[in-house]
Amino acid sequence: MNDPAITFCGDDALRLSAPDRDERLARARQLRTTGDWLEVVPGRRDVTVQFDPLRHTPTEALAHLSHTLATPAPPPSRTLETVELPVHFGGKNGPDLADISNRTGLSEAEVVSRLLSEPLQIDMLGFTPGFAYMSGLDDTIEIPRLLQPRQQVPAGSIGLITGQCGLYALAGPGGWPIIGRTPVSLFDPVSDNPFRLQPGMQVRLVDAAAS
Amino acid sequence: MTLTILQPGVQATLQGTPRIGARHLGVPASGPADPLSMALANRLVGNASDATAIEITFGGAAIRFDTPVSFAVTGAQSALTFAGQVVALHAAHTAQAGDELHIAPARQGCRIYVAIAANIDANVFLGSTSTYLPAALGGHEGRALKAGDTINLASVRVIPSMETPEDLHPVCSNSYALRAVEGPDFPASARRMWDETFTATRRASRMGVELEGAFPHIPEDASHPSAAIFPGALQLPSGGRGFLLLADAQTTGGYPHLLQVIRADRHLLGQVRPGDRIRFLHRTQQQATDALRAKQALLSAWLPDFHL
Repeated sequence: MNDPAITFCGDDALRLSAPDRDERLARARQLRTTGDWLEVVPGRRDVTVQFDPLRHTPTEALAHLSHTLATPAPPPSRTLETVELPVHFGGKNGPDLADISNRTGLSEAEVVSRLLSEPLQIDMLGFTPGFAYMSGLDDTIEIPRLLQPRQQVPAGSIGLITGQCGLYALAGPGGWPIIGRTPVSLFDPVSDNPFRLQPGMQVRLVDAAAS
Repeated sequence: MTLTILQPGVQATLQGTPRIGARHLGVPASGPADPLSMALANRLVGNASDATAIEITFGGAAIRFDTPVSFAVTGAQSALTFAGQVVALHAAHTAQAGDELHIAPARQGCRIYVAIAANIDANVFLGSTSTYLPAALGGHEGRALKAGDTINLASVRVIPSMETPEDLHPVCSNSYALRAVEGPDFPASARRMWDETFTATRRASRMGVELEGAFPHIPEDASHPSAAIFPGALQLPSGGRGFLLLADAQTTGGYPHLLQVIRADRHLLGQVRPGDRIRFLHRTQQQATDALRAKQALLSAWLPDFHL
């Protein structure tokens, strides 16, 4: 492997290390336009591309990836959409907010106001359809996942773990402590545009109780 | 023109082509857990390999045909009774209106495919009819089939009987040797994994199959930043049991990714049932590609439009 930033991820996928968020998303967009890949999936620190080994040997796939990476990533689009989401924090909408407050020593209001203070960046969608991984509170504030994941988290729930905030677009099982819920539909399969959120967008949370 | 589900068994869903190219939106592939068996069933009734068919887990199911139509059944080993007669897997049969097909509980393997010489009516999402239950996508109202469900059929055909060539009948077993390459988080301490035998537990679904056995010890804090994950991955969550991912697997994950079952052998994962034993055979990336191309070459004369 010539480029230390590229590693194999199984027999039919390659992983490009890309810690910088803007570069990562720009590379993902660039790779999606080449037609070489079945899937182009940004993670939190990397981009993984899946290839069809009936079309390309691993060596050829590696050469394709290196070739694309030899050209500069297109500049990040500066017309980032900001989506505003009203959120009901705490109580039955956010059953773990009180526990996070106890654990971190921040009051519930303080946790919420820190999240509202600036737009959250969407790093990636993943896990299940439309689940958005976003920037969260300062990395130094430790918030572990739940020891026992919930069987059922309502759609629109907002979870918080160390350094990250997650939006559950679907009802389903979930392991992130839940601090609130938005009534806005984030995934609508019968719509022409099923995904309300996309990687690279910004999300501004608004306290529904304050409006 | 319709067919009616009399009994769905443990779980029956409509599956068609996988959803490719949407994992960055969090949308899993779905499609048949064992795509080769579904392709073989579709072939017998003159359908495209990835035409919508019925996937039945563990058998114990029954279907009534409400119109004359040909059909074929493949996959897990189970006894078939059609219109009161014992009939074989891997052969096309023709039903008259009112005929019933009864599929006994599977003796070996996990998933059975019923292909119909017709277009099965199903919801479409991102160009695919495959059912994805967690988001109610595709299939029959996005859900598992229930007793009494009526499935609409279009372009219904009756075709001459045909059988799958003997040498293409997949081998169902209680013991699988799956070829695999090292995953991105394969630790040096895991070399013994290639000599171990693992057992599938009862935690099994279209998302994945849990395995128990002598997995390597991974430190508790070894979770990774979320990254892409694909069907065929063997993950090791902190509980110490492995999880082999299938067609409906989540698109990203943070658990250590130890092994990747190679593309050539992933169709076998859909037939693993609780209690089955699994070994992993160590391959390199190039060997995995060679194995894929060799298996594809064996299949393509009979299944020209099928790609592993």
